[in-house]
Amino acid sequence: MTLFAFVLLFTATVLAYLLNLRAARALRAGGARLHSLGGFHGGFAALVTLLPALVFLLAWLLLKEPAITVLLLRTLPEAEIAGLGTGERQLIISEIRTIAGGRIFGSPAEWKIEAADRLLAMRRTADYLMIALTALLAGGSMVIARRRVTPDFRARQGTEGILHGLMAFCATVAIFVTLGIVASLLFETIRFFQMVPVTDFLFGTNWEPQIPIREDQIAAEGAFGWIPVFLGTLVITVVALFIAVPVGLMSAVYLHEFASRRFRAAAKPVLEILAGVPTVVYGFFAILVVAPALRALGDMLAIPIAPNTALAAGGVMGIMLIPFISSFADDALGAVPRSLRDGALALGATPAETMTRVLFPAAIPGIVGGVLLAVSRAIGETMIVVMAAGLMAKMTLNPLDSVTTVTVQIVTLLIGDTAFDNPKTLAAFALGMMLFIVTLLINILALRIVRRYREIYD
Amino acid sequence: MNDMRMTERARLMQDIKISARDVNVYYGATRAINDVSIDIRDKTVTAFIGPSGCGKSTFLRCFNRMNDTIESARVTGTIELDGRDIHAPDLDPVQLRARVGMVFQKPNPFPKSIYDNVAYGPKIHGLAASKADLDDIVERALRRAALWDESKDRLTASGTSLSGGQQQRLCIARAIATEPEVLLMDEPASALDPIATAQIEELIDELKENYCVVIVTHSMQQAARVSQRTAFFHLGDLVEYGDTGQIFTNPKNERTESYITGRIG
Repeated sequence: MTLFAFVLLFTATVLAYLLNLRAARALRAGGARLHSLGGFHGGFAALVTLLPALVFLLAWLLLKEPAITVLLLRTLPEAEIAGLGTGERQLIISEIRTIAGGRIFGSPAEWKIEAADRLLAMRRTADYLMIALTALLAGGSMVIARRRVTPDFRARQGTEGILHGLMAFCATVAIFVTLGIVASLLFETIRFFQMVPVTDFLFGTNWEPQIPIREDQIAAEGAFGWIPVFLGTLVITVVALFIAVPVGLMSAVYLHEFASRRFRAAAKPVLEILAGVPTVVYGFFAILVVAPALRALGDMLAIPIAPNTALAAGGVMGIMLIPFISSFADDALGAVPRSLRDGALALGATPAETMTRVLFPAAIPGIVGGVLLAVSRAIGETMIVVMAAGLMAKMTLNPLDSVTTVTVQIVTLLIGDTAFDNPKTLAAFALGMMLFIVTLLINILALRIVRRYREIYD
Repeated sequence: MNDMRMTERARLMQDIKISARDVNVYYGATRAINDVSIDIRDKTVTAFIGPSGCGKSTFLRCFNRMNDTIESARVTGTIELDGRDIHAPDLDPVQLRARVGMVFQKPNPFPKSIYDNVAYGPKIHGLAASKADLDDIVERALRRAALWDESKDRLTASGTSLSGGQQQRLCIARAIATEPEVLLMDEPASALDPIATAQIEELIDELKENYCVVIVTHSMQQAARVSQRTAFFHLGDLVEYGDTGQIFTNPKNERTESYITGRIG
């Protein structure tokens, strides 16, 4: 039935387009000078026919079941449902639905079977009503649109106006979804801060989110200082950047300026493959290859190395970031005008001098922007650290030690059975909020730098 | 009087700075320059004129091997600077470019300070022994480029903050700061207004006291004003080459005459 309604609507839309197109052509054939081309008259009619009926149809589908449920509840015998709570009423409704669907378990009460019949009847009526109303709406719009076909009618402006509206709607969808996400984050964070003081969270140096779940359970009181957790994120990010920035920049410089065309043609796709490796695969690599290798090395040198070192997780994250930084630096170098390169070469600068003294300095703002974006990616990276970093929050800057990160903590806090009324679970939202703020600030900074550098050459 | 002109001429004849023989330039499969041979005199302004796409800029870029930086370009034939082949394997293009400076069509100052722009060449070639020395070189170059008075109070300002004409003079100062022997100018005034153009032309006239200047220009008036020798290029051929006065008043070739009188180009 629903499919039929959509087919009907689609047919009406095409029909409206053709009708108005023909009408407009007939007018022109009759010697009138039209303001808009026939295609715009057709497009206008199609949009006017489609949009109201489509909105109606979607709203109907969305509201049909809830409305039927309300109506059905009213028809149930008063004696059976009197004094029942919302949950119990919903159980009855779903039982009636199951019966209506043909799956009868045991022997339901007579009144429930009658209710199921009524439900089916209501649904049928609703479907007929939907098709009738859709047809009426689409037909009415079609007639209205058809009447508008006159030489003076500004169909182009009309069509464009509707399309602009549609585009604006699509643009705002993303904005509202973002606002919704931030709002939900904010809401839960505020609830968390009602249980744990803000200062404890922001300045506390102890992170032990284990709290008693039952009254009689013996457990720690729970401590929610985010500093050690964030410190772990920082250590891993710094390790990652120590690997990604030099390697990424060098590779970009080499590929952009010195590599032969053949080498570049081979190396660039490989870098792109590196960028396409899923982070979970990097996680395998960190935990199965890098971490054991580091431990073996540590044993050889008699240095104690934890199994989940920041070095292993950060190092692999650095490898993940190499193509990111490399391609950003490559773009930045490519954006330096050729005339600057020619100018330096014409002065007798060697290619190396041209790179270090002219091209690289000119590309620095773009490169810095790229590095900052890489930083915010490293801070938000989850999968690698979930697999390769530790779980204990420690106040340490030693990359050979096991550290945890903000993202790892969020994952562990929300995994398993969670109740959204204790600080343990809500702490995840507070951590998420902090992560959001930090990466937002870094991104704003990065975009500012990148924008300023664009202004120089445009 | 006649005597003097004869001796002057003899001196000029001896002083050949650049000598090109049978030069061809290819961009991929297309030939942009066809068998061009030319002798360019020292301490003279030589103008290359011709319609757009005739290859005059391409030919100019042969003299400091800037065509090397274009991957698809290939140059054949011999070009000698002071009697030495510039394509000789033992000749470093980097050193060649230090001797043959170039000014481009569009001013291209580096995004550095005015001072650093001019000091760039002397620094990389080790021309200055001390900071005071470098200051001296920068001041001299800026003075010769007629930019000193306008820029002496803001040498630390960015080179890109100057006006178009000032930027081009900065680029000229940058080129002459390395003490080249030849200065190549690829339509140096085409992006400038008439006043800035006049300043640049005046400058070119002064530069010929010390340098061999080769200038590519679109404007025949400019060629007539600044050059002593003129070469006319058309479709990759060197059509005619001679004294500027002769080329403009009494061209020997039909194509030259058509171009100068405005019938082609």
